[in-house]
Amino acid sequence: MTINTNSDKLYSLIDAVSLIDDGAKIVVGGVLTAREPSAIVREIIRAGKRGLHVIAGAHGYAIDLMCAGDVVGICENSFAGYEFDLGLALNYRRACEQGQVVIKETDCNILLQQFRATQFGVPFLPMPKLGGSDLLTLHPEFLASKCPYTGADLTLVPAIKPDVAIIHAHCADKRGNVKIFGPVFKDKLLAIIADKVIVSVEKVISEEEMRRLEPTIPYYHTSAIVPLPFGAHPTACYPDYAYDRKHLQEFVTFSQSAETVKQYLEKYIYQSMNNEQYLELIGGQEKISFLKSWNQDTSQWMEVFK
Amino acid sequence: MKPEFYTVDELVIVCLARTIKENDVVFNGVASALPFTAMALAKQTHAPNSVFLGGLQGAVNPRFPFLPPVSVDYTFSIECDLTIPAEEIFNLANSGNIDRIFFGGAQIDKYGNANNSIIGDTTAVKVKLPGGAGACSISCVAKHFTLWNTRHFASESARKRGNFTFMDKVDFITTVGHKTPAGTRREMNLKGGGPDAVVTDMGVFDFEESSGVMRLCSVHSYTSLDMIKACTAFDLLVSDNCHQTVPPSRDEVALIREIDPLNIRKRLFAAEQLAAQMKFGD
Repeated sequence: MTINTNSDKLYSLIDAVSLIDDGAKIVVGGVLTAREPSAIVREIIRAGKRGLHVIAGAHGYAIDLMCAGDVVGICENSFAGYEFDLGLALNYRRACEQGQVVIKETDCNILLQQFRATQFGVPFLPMPKLGGSDLLTLHPEFLASKCPYTGADLTLVPAIKPDVAIIHAHCADKRGNVKIFGPVFKDKLLAIIADKVIVSVEKVISEEEMRRLEPTIPYYHTSAIVPLPFGAHPTACYPDYAYDRKHLQEFVTFSQSAETVKQYLEKYIYQSMNNEQYLELIGGQEKISFLKSWNQDTSQWMEVFK
Repeated sequence: MKPEFYTVDELVIVCLARTIKENDVVFNGVASALPFTAMALAKQTHAPNSVFLGGLQGAVNPRFPFLPPVSVDYTFSIECDLTIPAEEIFNLANSGNIDRIFFGGAQIDKYGNANNSIIGDTTAVKVKLPGGAGACSISCVAKHFTLWNTRHFASESARKRGNFTFMDKVDFITTVGHKTPAGTRREMNLKGGGPDAVVTDMGVFDFEESSGVMRLCSVHSYTSLDMIKACTAFDLLVSDNCHQTVPPSRDEVALIREIDPLNIRKRLFAAEQLAAQMKFGD
């Protein structure tokens, strides 16, 4: 947790990502197919970061892509996959199975308690007694203890202090106030506890308009604001756009082997130097209109999932 | 239009819904196609006052226009009572106020321990599964949970290879059942009650009180006790009043098809299982 009161936080994507050191403890905003900071992840790969300690709840593309791009050293996450939509996160799986990343699988609820310890300014927090799960053996830092007042059995979990949070949101002002429409997930908490907070946004708005909207994340918790329309693509950023199932399917197809996924990285990351180029590559205006068309009516919305 | 027949996916969902009681607080996070359909069905039938906590978007009582194939989507939050931050859901779990949650597993043992993490050994990982999301902790604290699996049936060749989902010992315990190498739930002082139902593509199980061992209660109409025994790697405990699974009603199946018009539920089952069209009991 670091307080940052710089009055102008507008950054280019490259400059924002240069704030991330190799080996940093990084927390990832969004959930599953919703509002993942995808464009920031693509720049992390383009910049050739190494050995990141990724700490995350339930995700799909962001974690899978980071594993494909070989930027992860330790994966402390609770779930990585595409559920009954597109199945397993194949790059994540390969990285774990071949020992490229250290598997430190964790649990959404435990992780939250560790984040809250940092938020509350305490070195650890107790949880109701946990036991019997082999997941606990991956975390010797979790300790069995007793309540000093009642004697009840507890499990203690230490605070996690992330170096960096990466988040995609709807809008921000240049001072760094951030507005998220709809479910916030853990994003506000991540912004509070991380030392550096990089937020890509669909749109930069005036401070006056932000005051009217009432920000979700106060400016003093953020470090860098990067204007990046469609920065969550191929995950959804409702109400602006739905997720791009066809693109995710293409990624999963490319992900069948370590060799083929390089073609995906080449096309959508290394050869795509800016956001405009990327948006053209994914299908340009036609694709953008389709992803925005979900709110026409229910049958059009269902098309998104076919 | 009233349905003429039902299929295994619809039967499994109805069996899952039957594990939800009126006024229960029910949560499901990821891999939610079957649980969400069952939760919506229960609210529209026997448990209208159950509290449906839908996914990591914290949608309270979502009334989704259709079931999408993913667990976090605006379809769940566009029309619900409200959305609550994810931390509030976990607060409810830790304070003992989640009555029921649903957990799947790539491997399940006779005590209801489930593996969502690693096949093989932690030092020699054969398959990295997606992970348990909140299953490790919530299986310790939720009042009850329902285990489910749609790959109980094992083909003859799978059986010959010893390839079973219901195994004597799972490679890795993510989700905690009634007894683990670290002891029973009572010995470990866990506050949650553990699994009290298992719904599979072959039958429905509960757990014997004294031993904490899974016990077959009902057999789905298109299979048999012998076949379930053949597809289960551990010795099967069978309830004294084991019977054929009560078929769903036409209304229940009509509701399921309305809740899930994209047929997401069918993706979890093998084609040959879906081919069996079963008649209603009426």
